Amino acid sequence: MVVFTCHDDFESMMTCIYDAWAARLGHSNIKLMTEPIEEPELFCQYRHVDPDPEKYKKVIRSIRSKISENAYQDVYRAAMHWNPEKLDIIYRFLVLGFARGSQVTRMLGDPYVSALFELDRKVTNESHQFREFVRFSRLNDQVLFSLIQPKCNILTLIAPHFADRMPSENWLIADKKRRIALVHPSDQHYFLTPVTPQELAHMEEARKGDTYSSLWKAFFNAVGVEARANYRCQRNFLPLWYRKDMTEFSG
Amino acid sequence: MEIKREPDLEEKLKILSDAAKYDVACTSSGVDRKGEKGSLGNSRAWGICHSFAADGRCISLLKVLLSNDCIYDCKYCINRRSNQRIRTSFTPEELCTITIEFYKRNYIEGLFLSSGVIKNPTYTMELMYQTLFLLRTQYHFRGYIHAKAVPGAAPEIIQKIGYLADRMSVNMELPTKESLQLLAPGKDHQAILRPMGQIRQQIRDYRLSIGKTASMERHFGNQYLSGNIFSSSGEKSSRLDGPAEALPGQPLVPSGTALSGIAPSSPPFPEKAASPKGASRPFAPAGQSTQMIIGATPENDYQLLKVTQALYQQYDLKRVFFSAYIPLNEDRALPSLDTAPPLLREHRLYQADWLLRYYGFQADDLLSPSRPDFNIFLDPKCDWALRHLELFPIEVSTASYQDLLKVPGIGNKSAWRILQARRCGRLDFSSLKTMGVVLKRAQYFITCHGKMRYRTPIEEDFITRQLTQSEKSSLWDLEHPQTYRQLSLFDDHFLEVPPTVEDSRKIITGQL
Repeated sequence: MVVFTCHDDFESMMTCIYDAWAARLGHSNIKLMTEPIEEPELFCQYRHVDPDPEKYKKVIRSIRSKISENAYQDVYRAAMHWNPEKLDIIYRFLVLGFARGSQVTRMLGDPYVSALFELDRKVTNESHQFREFVRFSRLNDQVLFSLIQPKCNILTLIAPHFADRMPSENWLIADKKRRIALVHPSDQHYFLTPVTPQELAHMEEARKGDTYSSLWKAFFNAVGVEARANYRCQRNFLPLWYRKDMTEFSG
Repeated sequence: MEIKREPDLEEKLKILSDAAKYDVACTSSGVDRKGEKGSLGNSRAWGICHSFAADGRCISLLKVLLSNDCIYDCKYCINRRSNQRIRTSFTPEELCTITIEFYKRNYIEGLFLSSGVIKNPTYTMELMYQTLFLLRTQYHFRGYIHAKAVPGAAPEIIQKIGYLADRMSVNMELPTKESLQLLAPGKDHQAILRPMGQIRQQIRDYRLSIGKTASMERHFGNQYLSGNIFSSSGEKSSRLDGPAEALPGQPLVPSGTALSGIAPSSPPFPEKAASPKGASRPFAPAGQSTQMIIGATPENDYQLLKVTQALYQQYDLKRVFFSAYIPLNEDRALPSLDTAPPLLREHRLYQADWLLRYYGFQADDLLSPSRPDFNIFLDPKCDWALRHLELFPIEVSTASYQDLLKVPGIGNKSAWRILQARRCGRLDFSSLKTMGVVLKRAQYFITCHGKMRYRTPIEEDFITRQLTQSEKSSLWDLEHPQTYRQLSLFDDHFLEVPPTVEDSRKIITGQL
């Protein structure tokens, strides 16, 4: 078994798929994984792949033209999942997709298609929930900033929503786990940039000073009906792990 | 009660959101609007919830009253005139600032503005209009606005607000005329229906003027469902009058003449009343909704569901909300203060409401005058399926969308996925599961390529027992924490006797 590994970003993954395909070792003799590899297996040869613009562009182009735009979007979302097995699932999905064409996205009966569908569903749901649960803070009319720690890498998926929602504001959303931030200057395009732990710590400290957070907490506590208290239902809709960075549950 | 010191903003917000919390609707759905440079906000048709309160209800809008200073004395209401409470109001600027700042921090999707009736309905709505006008024009707010129309207000002011708000709602309060007279003496059921009719008419006019259909969009699945409540509202609503009149407490809506009279024959409202800026704005693009209190008056579920259906058909409402009655005031006409809110009944009504809007059921399919209330142990769809076992089992690999939707455990998403998946592959039970079918319920009602999942009989008693068993045991656990347990040889049921010296010696020598 030959295992192709790469970093956990979309370009590397697409390059990895290209190289795995081009190696011509037979689909059943290879495996694809994203790094870090937690437990290397015996009798496996590991090959690291570095991103190559020419190769990943080719892969993206052929997914879009030979399968469909929908399939490309599904693959992109699935690639944002936290699970290192996702790359292998995407590879098997593409093998099937290049054979069957655009109908592959509907073949939910197939184990690889349904596995991809499940990855896609998790990432879509999580990014929707972060659209809801991201909380911004602001000091003295400066930039609006937010800290989150999502399980999946959802920054690029929530970006268009917030850019549309607040086009003329300066804002940024920082992913504490992956140390990247989505920055949107007022009336301009947004971009991704790495952030340092010092900057994160600074923001962590600064968000305590927002004056509107106490107003929001007052509203949040006043609007629940005591006679209908149902914490289990609340946890179903808003699981505890999302609450780490939410204003109304802090302090 | 007047207090000397003016409360600060946080106190006001507490008082006025506390006063508004019994309003049910907090949805931000129904309209797609893109953001614009220079303005703040957008809107998504599927709606976005921003938080969930301790009662598990979603918080998506800043739900407040403009003022809790009300001239009415509705018996069930916390803000009734005769209650001793601190009365206060927001100024339009205060409310706009809070909305904008909350919106920027992603706390809310928009504003839900209601109000106690100050002086008179028209005056109250003038104040609401000022706030909304400021918010839309000066603060350039493009987010969602839900505005309550106060029954009895002048049509012109309702129209002006309709051009600023995304959704309008008029509270039905109580499902029948008699109940309304009993509990809300200041209100009049015709006065409630009039603004509803007006809003319906103006939404329709606006939609026709931009080339859309006269009635609101419904879930796309409805086009494949013959006999759904939206398909032929005209003939259905006339059919609906018969049984309705036979009911003891005459439901408010299905009276044919009075209501169908309002919508079409009401005089067209003057077009010039729309403000110049309003002319380019849509009129309540997310439609209108209403809410009813349940459990305060003796109506049964059948009557409530019939009224709901009639409201959808005759007023083209987007949603009807139910509010389990929570005792807040003491009064002879009301249930006593220690009554628990009928949450399960409310839940069953919402389930049935979904069956009407998404699954092609009619109120008469689910309930009848001889069986007027929902089953406590089974949801309305399971209950219906058990009474129609002759239609089952349904073969998932060939059944139509409409038939699939009749199966308990299959919803419109999973039905749609089944249709797509079976076109290009073979279905089996495990793939049904990944598509989102709830096999726990569905397995008794479906076959997949001619086989059921297990060898289960299609027998009413058997399936009922299976379906209620899991729920019953969880109910039992809730009510009896740590009392009785099944005896078992292998558990030590709280055995408190400590091991003796002999025991430890026996262990060493191997006798134990």
